[in-house]
Amino acid sequence: MDLSNLTIKKFHEGLLNKQFSAFEITKVFFDYIKEKDSQINAYLHLTKDSALSQAEQVDVDLAKGKELGILAGAPLAIKDNILIEGMPATAASKILENYTASYDATVIKKLKEAGAVFLGKTNLDEFAMGSSTENSAFQITRNPYDLERVPGGSSGGSAATVASDMCVAALGSDTGGSIRQPAGFCGVVGLKPTYGAVSRYGLIAMASSLDQIGPIAKTVEDAAILFNAIKGKYPLDATSVNYGSGIRNYGLEDIRKLKIGLPKEYFAPTFQSEPRPEGVGVEGLDKNIASAIEEAIKNLKSLKIEFKEISLPHTKYALSCYYIIMPAEVSANLARFDGIRYARISNFQFPISNLRDIYFKQRGNGFGEEAKRRIILGTFVLSAGYYDAYYANAQKVRRLVKEDFDKAFNEVDVILTPVSPTPAFKIGEKTDDPLSMYLSDIFTIPVNLAGLPAISIPVKSQKSKVNGQLPVGFQLIGKPFHEADILGIGQYYEKISNF
Amino acid sequence: MNKNLKNAKNISKMPMPINKKTLEYLAELSRIELEEKSEEKLLNDLQKILEHFEELKEVDIENIEPMAGGTIEKNVFREDKENPKSEVQTSKLTNAFPDEEKGYLKVPPIFE
Repeated sequence: MDLSNLTIKKFHEGLLNKQFSAFEITKVFFDYIKEKDSQINAYLHLTKDSALSQAEQVDVDLAKGKELGILAGAPLAIKDNILIEGMPATAASKILENYTASYDATVIKKLKEAGAVFLGKTNLDEFAMGSSTENSAFQITRNPYDLERVPGGSSGGSAATVASDMCVAALGSDTGGSIRQPAGFCGVVGLKPTYGAVSRYGLIAMASSLDQIGPIAKTVEDAAILFNAIKGKYPLDATSVNYGSGIRNYGLEDIRKLKIGLPKEYFAPTFQSEPRPEGVGVEGLDKNIASAIEEAIKNLKSLKIEFKEISLPHTKYALSCYYIIMPAEVSANLARFDGIRYARISNFQFPISNLRDIYFKQRGNGFGEEAKRRIILGTFVLSAGYYDAYYANAQKVRRLVKEDFDKAFNEVDVILTPVSPTPAFKIGEKTDDPLSMYLSDIFTIPVNLAGLPAISIPVKSQKSKVNGQLPVGFQLIGKPFHEADILGIGQYYEKISNF
Repeated sequence: MNKNLKNAKNISKMPMPINKKTLEYLAELSRIELEEKSEEKLLNDLQKILEHFEELKEVDIENIEPMAGGTIEKNVFREDKENPKSEVQTSKLTNAFPDEEKGYLKVPPIFE
């Protein structure tokens, strides 16, 4: 059984045509994971027993002649900050090493109803804080294209499982690029939905005004299928909204009506093909990225889509703005991990004389370096003397970043940018310098500040990649709740670039 | 306090805002025990990050409304009534307690 080209769509066809049973193929996946994941380290926990019984149920339903939905039996991987009842949910933090989820996240509930099969929980940067998955308390995940390099982060485990065929698709979460950047690094598709499009209930919160759950998949079509399954309002997440019916599939004529904007601030001066403005771009755009983005633009132009240069003048300030707002929310959200309510760290003996001891010891030993750094930074920017100078001002800059997009969307429908300034970097390259790690998210962060939907799509398909070449993705940003626009363009892009 | 800190221009008038003492105070507020040897790196990292934030001083934020987040900024209310859960559901939560008594979470004393 060849798993390498198995998409959700092909899996569904194979199941209906009786090429395999859901049970059989689930077993094939676990055999393959056993072999492959010893190199990649993408999974934190495998959930074989429940996966096999979920799959068996799908086979029973099929034998009974029940009509199966597109996701029935589909073997998925789930980022370990999303709760599946009865399974561990560590968020790759030592402080949650003994925690078992007591309920299903909304997205899990919906996927269970759709008949999906969960193979396991994937590695991430602790509490989704990072851009390389190196901040996991448990293991280092490797990029399937080059084992010496990171898969990106924080949803690095999910992106790596999809890229190495250890599942058909996966869920991740994206606070500042954590779906799109690892998808870009691993040569797969990652969609960060509009803020509010998908319920966050059951997602271990990092920064609540920025977090969104979304799919990581082999094709844009698969990402659309998963997005359709998980979107919508849920009463226990007051920020989720009624999305309406399924997103419409676009024809070529629809695509040609959309105008794509190229924000000059996202392109370094090395970018040659277009008439470039005089302004200096965001510093440090790698030349491999620049040439790949040129190629993506050329491909899209061949579809007769119109391009227009635009400006998002506050782009430069988005990173600082984000690194004030996000830690502020982190410091509040992570206050709940007190060593009491979500189980306690094991093998840790100390004399407990009062409650305070538990807090200090559990949090001091349970949180990793990056989590501590962000909690303390967040506590600082929210403290009475500095609140206005940092937090309140960052919220105003956030408004300006959003208004840049609002204005741009009066002129264009979709915005195209790089996903990250470089392809996947080496393991250990940025771990000593948090600021250099933060800078790898400069192109994805503004989207979260503005609450917009965005997708990361590989410029080249795996088939047409030259051996040894690292994947590069491009980003399409849409208007709020216009996922259909970016998914529509993405699907046509795949058709013409030989996916 | 510091009501006149109306905009980020004032940041430059302050001394480097984080020193060892502030860091220890922030760790105390955060209920995090820091190891002596990790303090220096943490302090250094935080100072570099705060320096980067200085660029925000260039932005004109006069008369700009703060944005608290999200796509649709509207408050959502629910009915003010009990939402009782079944014993099965509550036991799933209480099972995660390290220590309990009569269904209540048991913790060590607050005061010695």
